[in-house]
Amino acid sequence: MKLFKRFSYTGKVNKTLGRKQQFMAQKISRRYCSSAIILFALQSVVASMGALDLVIPDFPSLIPFEYGRAIHLALAVLWPLIGTMGMVYFFITAELNREIYSPRLVRWQYWMVMFFCSSILGTLALRIGYGREYLEGLPIFYVGISLTLALASYNLIRTLLMDKKNITPAAATMTVGVIFLLLLLLPNTITFSNPITDEATKFWVVHLWEEMAFELTSAGFIATYYIVSGLAPRKQIEKWLYLEATLAVIGGLYGTGHHYYWIGFPAFWLVLGSLVSLVEVIPVGMLVHMTYRGLKSTKIRSNREKLTLWLLLSSVFHHITGASLLGLFITVPWINLYTHGTYITSGHAHLALFGSLGFAVLAGCYFVLSQGSEPNLKGYRGGVLAVILLNCGLITMGSALLIAGSIQTYLWRIIGMDFMEVHSILKPYLIIRVLGGAMFALGDLLLSWHIYKTWQTTRSYK
Amino acid sequence: MKLRIFLLLSTLSFVLFLAITLISSRLPSPMPEKAVAGKIVWQRNNCISCHTLFGHGGYKADDLTHITAKEKSSYLINYLVQPPVMRPNKYTHHPALDEADAKNLVQYLEFVHTIPTLGWPPLLDNGSENL
Repeated sequence: MKLFKRFSYTGKVNKTLGRKQQFMAQKISRRYCSSAIILFALQSVVASMGALDLVIPDFPSLIPFEYGRAIHLALAVLWPLIGTMGMVYFFITAELNREIYSPRLVRWQYWMVMFFCSSILGTLALRIGYGREYLEGLPIFYVGISLTLALASYNLIRTLLMDKKNITPAAATMTVGVIFLLLLLLPNTITFSNPITDEATKFWVVHLWEEMAFELTSAGFIATYYIVSGLAPRKQIEKWLYLEATLAVIGGLYGTGHHYYWIGFPAFWLVLGSLVSLVEVIPVGMLVHMTYRGLKSTKIRSNREKLTLWLLLSSVFHHITGASLLGLFITVPWINLYTHGTYITSGHAHLALFGSLGFAVLAGCYFVLSQGSEPNLKGYRGGVLAVILLNCGLITMGSALLIAGSIQTYLWRIIGMDFMEVHSILKPYLIIRVLGGAMFALGDLLLSWHIYKTWQTTRSYK
Repeated sequence: MKLRIFLLLSTLSFVLFLAITLISSRLPSPMPEKAVAGKIVWQRNNCISCHTLFGHGGYKADDLTHITAKEKSSYLINYLVQPPVMRPNKYTHHPALDEADAKNLVQYLEFVHTIPTLGWPPLLDNGSENL
């Protein structure tokens, strides 16, 4: 609790404030978070190139579209992973108010995860890959990433066991989240010849990482942030956190069914997937309710906390719209039968994956990297502008894809026109997508610059 | 709610989920060796980044789940060995494969065609209903 009081500075604006002793794990977590931000900036550049490639015939590019897309997707999984590792170390030591079991292991783990991550990106740029969507890198590198997650799990479990009587719900939820990241990635390091198993295990990363494991790790961060900023009392959060986490696990696991509809699985998955997907929405509703009550009763004064809140509210917004409402709509089997495999899926993926998970990880990374500083008014406005650009870019991009997808659904899936003929009709919407993507990339670079500046001012007391 | 209940429920539902997923992923018939080799060709050439299979993958090119119902295998092999220019490009060709790889890949696509997909896609490429 003491540490929360140190965090929750709301008085005068002064850079030297908050220069308190930090835990080793928190210092090292800054590396994870800054690397995640750099990779995020790289991702928007790569993605913009890919979007251009789709609308310009014979697009000249060093890396062909298929490997560019692979890099884009690999980054979509890897930067949230690295950012999450940093967030978990930072907030777990804050929650428990004690040092991590082995800071040295945290440091080693950083170099390992960066090594395997750059190996995946580097080999893909050289056109060496393994051709599984979202997991395009060679399996050996995913073994490496599993190893880093195993180290993290071990470190976190030992930390919790150091003082068994003081395990807070947020700390336990984050630890379970990291263990799930490991358990779900492990099967993806094995080669399956059975195409059905191959498709199914892929979704243990594409779906279950995002809609279960990362949700648990983010819940830990959100709980800590709400307590620090006074949005919700600790007692209330601790009362509900395990229930939310349990619902997230059960809903997330069986909700995977909505990805199992047409890959050769038996028909009962249609029922299971669509019904359990409803459960996935409950934790979101609880979070929205808590946020709404907190915002009504509390006024946040610190610019740093406000900027974090902007990012977090963006995450909540896209979690409700792009992820939950749109997601539930296309989860209905009769609708999914027609929309599946069109740009509607792509629009949903952008809105849900970056919208809810990306913004949450950005919020966490910003909060970690800005600890001990307060942005001045100009910096704060720049940050807010970046968040607005990111949101507008994402919504433009998502809507363009959804419109393109609806046209595609009608012409290709219902009327039965030829795929390439339909694709040429979609061009105007794909151009709007490029513009939305450019706006997004601009916001991304602006935010990264803002965070880089913050990193510089807070670096001195590392 | 207590930590212990959370851990217990999570573990139980995870184990149960793994079990029913594995049971569900049984193949309708054993996979021929050439199809297994073809799957490796499919992956090594990163076909999934443009095409889709079971509706999953890139959205740049056609879904290939039931392509073998639409085109003859000799046409497909020829297409892969001597790839034409891809619409709407003027110069860029479809990536090329050698003949052995192309044959294995078509074998794999023929095997994928036999996997029951519960009526998806709603229309086959030749316009008939897929039910």
